[in-house]
Amino acid sequence: MPDAAKSPARPLEGIRALELAEIWAGPFSGALLTDLGAEVIKVEAIQRVARNPARPNSDDPAAKPWNTNGDFNAVNRNKVGLTLDLTTPSGADAFKQLANVSDVVLSNYAFGVMDRFGLGYEDLRKVKPDIIVIFMPGYGNTGPYRRYRSMGLVLDAVSGHTRLRGYPDLDLSYNSLVHHPDAVAAGNAVFSICLSILRRARTGKGQFIDLAQSESFMTNLGEVFLEYELTGQSRSRRGNRHPAMSPHGVYPCAGEDQWVAIAVRTDEEWWEMCEAMRMPQLAHNPRFETLPARLRNQDELDDIVSRWSRQLGRYHVTELLQERGVPAGPVLDCGADTYDNPHLQDRDYFQVVDHPDAGTHLLSGQIWKMANRPEVRHGPAPGLGQHNRHILGDLVGISSDVLDQMERDQVIGTAPMPGADMGGVRRARAQGIVPPE
Amino acid sequence: MPQLALDGIRVLELTDGIAAPFCAKMLADYGAEVIRVESPRHTPRRYEHLNWAESAGLYLHLNLNKKSVTLDLELDRGRELLLDLALRSDVVIESMRPGAAEGLGIGYETLSAHRPDLVMTSVTPFGQTGPYRDWSFTELSVFAMSGAMNREGLPGRPPLRYGGEIAQYFTGVVASAATMGALVGVAMTGIGDWVDISIFESMSGHPNQIARRGAYAYLGENDKRVDPRTTSGSEQYAIGTFRCADGHFNFLPLGPRMWPYVAQLIGQPELTQDPRFLTPEDRIENRAELESIFQAWLDGHTRYEVFAAAQDAGLPSGPVLEPSEIMEDEHFIQRGYFQTIDHPDFGTLRYPGLPFTLSDAPKSESTPAPKRGQHNREVLTGLLGLSDEDISALSDRGIISDA
Repeated sequence: MPDAAKSPARPLEGIRALELAEIWAGPFSGALLTDLGAEVIKVEAIQRVARNPARPNSDDPAAKPWNTNGDFNAVNRNKVGLTLDLTTPSGADAFKQLANVSDVVLSNYAFGVMDRFGLGYEDLRKVKPDIIVIFMPGYGNTGPYRRYRSMGLVLDAVSGHTRLRGYPDLDLSYNSLVHHPDAVAAGNAVFSICLSILRRARTGKGQFIDLAQSESFMTNLGEVFLEYELTGQSRSRRGNRHPAMSPHGVYPCAGEDQWVAIAVRTDEEWWEMCEAMRMPQLAHNPRFETLPARLRNQDELDDIVSRWSRQLGRYHVTELLQERGVPAGPVLDCGADTYDNPHLQDRDYFQVVDHPDAGTHLLSGQIWKMANRPEVRHGPAPGLGQHNRHILGDLVGISSDVLDQMERDQVIGTAPMPGADMGGVRRARAQGIVPPE
Repeated sequence: MPQLALDGIRVLELTDGIAAPFCAKMLADYGAEVIRVESPRHTPRRYEHLNWAESAGLYLHLNLNKKSVTLDLELDRGRELLLDLALRSDVVIESMRPGAAEGLGIGYETLSAHRPDLVMTSVTPFGQTGPYRDWSFTELSVFAMSGAMNREGLPGRPPLRYGGEIAQYFTGVVASAATMGALVGVAMTGIGDWVDISIFESMSGHPNQIARRGAYAYLGENDKRVDPRTTSGSEQYAIGTFRCADGHFNFLPLGPRMWPYVAQLIGQPELTQDPRFLTPEDRIENRAELESIFQAWLDGHTRYEVFAAAQDAGLPSGPVLEPSEIMEDEHFIQRGYFQTIDHPDFGTLRYPGLPFTLSDAPKSESTPAPKRGQHNREVLTGLLGLSDEDISALSDRGIISDA
């Protein structure tokens, strides 16, 4: 790559985005925007603290456990932190003043939440006519399901992915709880925001972006829908196998819970694999010589491969196969295995992040590299309300007397109110489903 | 008619696989002119290892709204034309092996010397540098390395990949976001960029993975595969995929605070007073009983009945749907998500649509995936100013050909 730092400015330098978001779809959008150089202000509330799942280092409030959640701090890297109770007039008004000096408002709240705060697109547009607003609920901002509650796992089902996952010999109810739609929505959101900034530069106009997380994920399953259209059949589950590659699977290696993935695309690659396994005669065995033969005899083939692979380490198998151009890769965990990976280390993927409450850790870096922009160094995730005074005082111009009053009124703050949660208990109480405290 | 969002942006695409074509598709779907360069000499490696319907589905989906030009890049004249096209583009998206673009005369150094405002996005399995830069990959092998696979599946069994070509598509999404970011950079600073995208890094930097890595970095907690039906831990009951009368649905009660809603949903609010289920700990302890009560209710209800009832109770849940059911679902019909497009060879089919819509820019009318070389004449005469004789000569020499 050519020399970096030809230009001091990153693409979104000077762009300010307000993020009202929980879990992953919205927060990850904000993280990616900071990688492009935007200033992202994460707007939270001390009445409802979504720094879950709560795994504090300490139960001691002085240690600010809400600021020391590893999951949250990873996905919210590099942002600025503000709390505002948007259900109060002074909170909503402060938000509007902030919107007036911002470019983007980004939210993955459920449909209607921002409108109930009086902060829908039409409201925000009155404050700042060229504001770019994206609301990204599960089912979008129109249509019969727009009010339906959703989370990534739910959208995985509705988008058609759940029925493609899991072990083909087990009921779907054994499917894992890990879900993917949020991530896709986040990437699409960043694309849509950048597109709208580009368009604003040309037309002077703002934009409302309607992103349904379900739909954004379906676009990543395009051929599955078209296969149905072309054949009238729904694709069946594949597990780790593939209808047109064999061997194609995840095989045991030496050690506990160690695995290697191997995917052989062609007969030539199969012959190479036989050489790597030092079983050249296998290449001429009619039971495995051609793809149709290998597909017919997969169980037997998988046994042969497993007997070989389990004598060797997962990286060793990978290297023996990659030397011969056969796709293979070790199954790595997200923790030590990833940190130890020589390729990611060589590419300087990880970053040391110093967090005032959580300490100094090596964390995940940015996904892309841009040759002409200065290297991105990640700052920590913000503490709850950490930058209230800076944002509302220095940026918006609210006097410190008024900010003191807002703090006394619990419109702003830096610690969760007693009983603050993601909303379930309060709502249940309001509906009389559980008794008041 | 107001302009399409990306009107006036031209993209040259030299790609195969899924990630890079999807990145270019994102730009095409929002109005950029995307010119895909393919070889005239042999069938391009269009998903040759896949079955017919999957291969056709990928071709139709990924190449929507694009133009196709064939150029023989083994010949000097083919490479000259490629360079001309690149220098008349705002974006070049390529997925060749690291170094191959230089070999064709369109390396970033060459292009940026003429066009400092050009954005080049290179999408490869492992990136432009590093010890794995020349490694082979498939969805399975790179997914395994990303950290995602280690948590997918059951303990005691081999870890699993997701369904679909998730890592490659996600990388395409990330690449399109970075490309669009770089285009904003061009508008703001006049300086283009070379964007290096790796499928391995994209999937390793996925929020699922970085969140788990954060937990590991802070607490040393490692990720494990868990059995969703027997695992005990905080907040884990009545969560995941369940059978019901006509299929399955996914259910996410979001922990203890939602328990009253679960009881309400199944019409047994008195369960909240049941000594077996009083506290979160009780419910985890007696999870099997709780889930069997839940299951008995589910067995009497269809997916869409559960869907409606759960929404009334305020619980996130959704039916496990087949492609046909999704395309016929009233919600997506009303939103106009799926689009019906006629392709001369494949007929009229329903396609997945746009991941988002814009208030201030119209949706484009989609054009079907082009045949190879379908736009040779339009692009080479219209854009490069070649004459009819030039075109004939190129065709005679096999430098271009219509499929």
